[in-house]
Amino acid sequence: MVGVFQIHPSIWGRQISNAGLPAATPGSPEDPTLSATVSVAWIPVGDGGDAGRQVVEVRGLTAGALASLSELVKAGSAWHRFLAVYAESGDELTIDPLMPSMAGTYALTQGVLRFVPAFPPSPGVRYRAVLRREAFPPGSLPADGVTLTATHREPSVASHPTTLVSRIAPSSKVVPENLLKFYVHFSAPMSRGHIYDHIRLRTAKGDVVELPFLEIDEELWNPEMTRLTLFLDPGRIKRGVKPLEEIGPSLEEGHRYTLVIDRGWRDAAGQPLKAAFEKVFEVGPPDREPPDPKRWAIHPPHARGREALTLNFPEPMDDALTRRLLRVVGEGVPVPEGRAELASEERQWLFIPDVPWVAGNYQLLVGSTLEDLAGNNPGKPFEVDLFEGVQRRLSNEMIRLPFVVR
Amino acid sequence: MKTLLSTVVLTCAALSATAVVQPDPNWFAGFQEGTPALKSASKLAFGPEGILFIADTKAAAVVAVATGDTQLAGASKLVKVEGVNLKVAALLGTTPDEILIEDMAVNPVSRQIYLAVARGRGPSSTPAVIRVGADLAPVLVSLEKVRFSRADLPDAPVDAPPKEGQRGGNPRLESITDIAFLENRLLIAGLSNEEFASTLRAIPFPFKTVANGSSVEIYHGAHGRFETRSPIRTFVPFNVGDQPHLLAAYTCTPLVQFPIKDIQPGAKIKGKTIAELGNRNRPLDMIVYEKGGKEYLLLANSSRGVMKVTTDKIETLDAIGEPVKDGATRGIAYETLAGWTGVDQLDRLDAGNALVLRQAGGGSLNLESLALP
Repeated sequence: MVGVFQIHPSIWGRQISNAGLPAATPGSPEDPTLSATVSVAWIPVGDGGDAGRQVVEVRGLTAGALASLSELVKAGSAWHRFLAVYAESGDELTIDPLMPSMAGTYALTQGVLRFVPAFPPSPGVRYRAVLRREAFPPGSLPADGVTLTATHREPSVASHPTTLVSRIAPSSKVVPENLLKFYVHFSAPMSRGHIYDHIRLRTAKGDVVELPFLEIDEELWNPEMTRLTLFLDPGRIKRGVKPLEEIGPSLEEGHRYTLVIDRGWRDAAGQPLKAAFEKVFEVGPPDREPPDPKRWAIHPPHARGREALTLNFPEPMDDALTRRLLRVVGEGVPVPEGRAELASEERQWLFIPDVPWVAGNYQLLVGSTLEDLAGNNPGKPFEVDLFEGVQRRLSNEMIRLPFVVR
Repeated sequence: MKTLLSTVVLTCAALSATAVVQPDPNWFAGFQEGTPALKSASKLAFGPEGILFIADTKAAAVVAVATGDTQLAGASKLVKVEGVNLKVAALLGTTPDEILIEDMAVNPVSRQIYLAVARGRGPSSTPAVIRVGADLAPVLVSLEKVRFSRADLPDAPVDAPPKEGQRGGNPRLESITDIAFLENRLLIAGLSNEEFASTLRAIPFPFKTVANGSSVEIYHGAHGRFETRSPIRTFVPFNVGDQPHLLAAYTCTPLVQFPIKDIQPGAKIKGKTIAELGNRNRPLDMIVYEKGGKEYLLLANSSRGVMKVTTDKIETLDAIGEPVKDGATRGIAYETLAGWTGVDQLDRLDAGNALVLRQAGGGSLNLESLALP
């Protein structure tokens, strides 16, 4: 490679002297054969949330070298001309002059030049601090041939594949042709970037469906990155738009498909999945009917018991929205703490209290952005037939389902 | 700069079509000195006087930072930074596969380039803002002890009932998919990871305390007879005649325009579909520019390259009223630009050049200026 010089591994981390310093850190071994006084060393600092941070300290600089650095302080010039840190991940130690050195802050205090990297070290990456001889006045550093460098290698995180796809919603074996989304749940946090390379939709014949999903760089994760929302391409769901006209829907009624998540997808620790995952499902007719709350059946629990409050839907509902958009309020009676669950392939919502119910009047509130599997909202279909038919919707609209606990 | 959805809910508490731009506003009203605690840097946009807006999806917030970058930085020249992602990785002290470049914006005053970057790919990734100046060397923009102002966005849609009596963290996250500053407002597009009704907010700037306020819904028509909802991928403010509009590129392929003056609390807006760009059209970014007295639109597209759209007929164009068939493209004319391949990010560098972030093979990304066609 043009303009790249290599340093033989045998002189990594050589220091001139470590007098007065803490014990040499791993990766920066002393070399007792050298007698000069300048040292470059990695020093562990920080604790708590800052644990594992490392800084570079240069000690034993001569008066001439310090004077040069002091001038630098006044001029606000580029510190990295004197001391630069490079991150290296390959097998060979290289300095590519086209590559910037690592960002961080420099300080000169009581004769010690200190570099604090802007970021903590990454696992498996080697960091090399280089004191640049050529930037200092002649004679202010030890003789030529002495390499003023120190390396720190952040240990790799030893791990093996353990993460799995834990479930995919909807869980029903039959989905509408105009299914809007899948939720892919993982057993541990995952990583971003090129995720769609690992997701395939296959027909019963084994053919791969072309571009069935909405692929967006933002990648729709939950904050913990254990759940990915995978929208079907809306251009292939909506009637009258060009992609649907040209290549048809992603899913076709009467056909069977397999959603495949391959093993190559890496989790947040950089490991591939422990196993691939396949979800086989069949496609039923499109659902263009908005959910009708009048057809939802609420089953109130009994007072003084810890029976679940249940709400039954005549069709499977969106997994995430149904878990989030329902809540119980009491009319002058306390609502017990508890947990919500979905059952019967997302056709049943249950609220299981921690403490017994108190007799009284309650309401189950349902947010109007609740969706069925095809993105239809209560009282409002996914596709509106003619704009003039769009009813004005108030933003704080809520569906109220009263019930009595006796 | 990227996405949003078609039942666009506009939060417009202080938003009014009659809002008048102050003659000499103090853009820094409400700014404080300190370190804005960013959880992510998802999208970037420049406002007046070197103010950089950083959209933080993880924190559901937008931070306005006074960069002080208000002078033209050196003579305007062509840009080519090879392997910019490799250089950013080196600067941030990590490996290139741990770097994601989320967005790119050019400061229109200084012409310096800013990149929003994630260091790390998992949930604990760290945001960074990188500046590429006239010397083309990337540097880390320090966000310590800066003057900034912050607007927190509501974490959930206005009609989502809050949790009560139920445990568990909220898994909902609204990705901020595009932002743009227009006159005295910041337009923020969002795409939820749950409900299919994303938001477009217009927040007055300088930021004030903004309640959720009322909302409007914007439908885009002309899918035959069906008015439907679909994600907008990216949008750009654009004048039609002398009226400010938004041009929005939808994932389901139409290019839709709607007047910004129509965005009023409680309103129900119908956007006009002005082009159907067809299958495999996956819009990424849009810019507007003028050449030879005419205005054009460039639309970067993940699978079809960069499209140049002629806009001079937008004012008089009828909305597309029927489905488009037989592979034809309806509405305004466009051409796909030869040579503009692998473009991931697009912005305007100066009057004569676009800036692109493009794939250069082997996982390398180049930052390049290209003459506006």
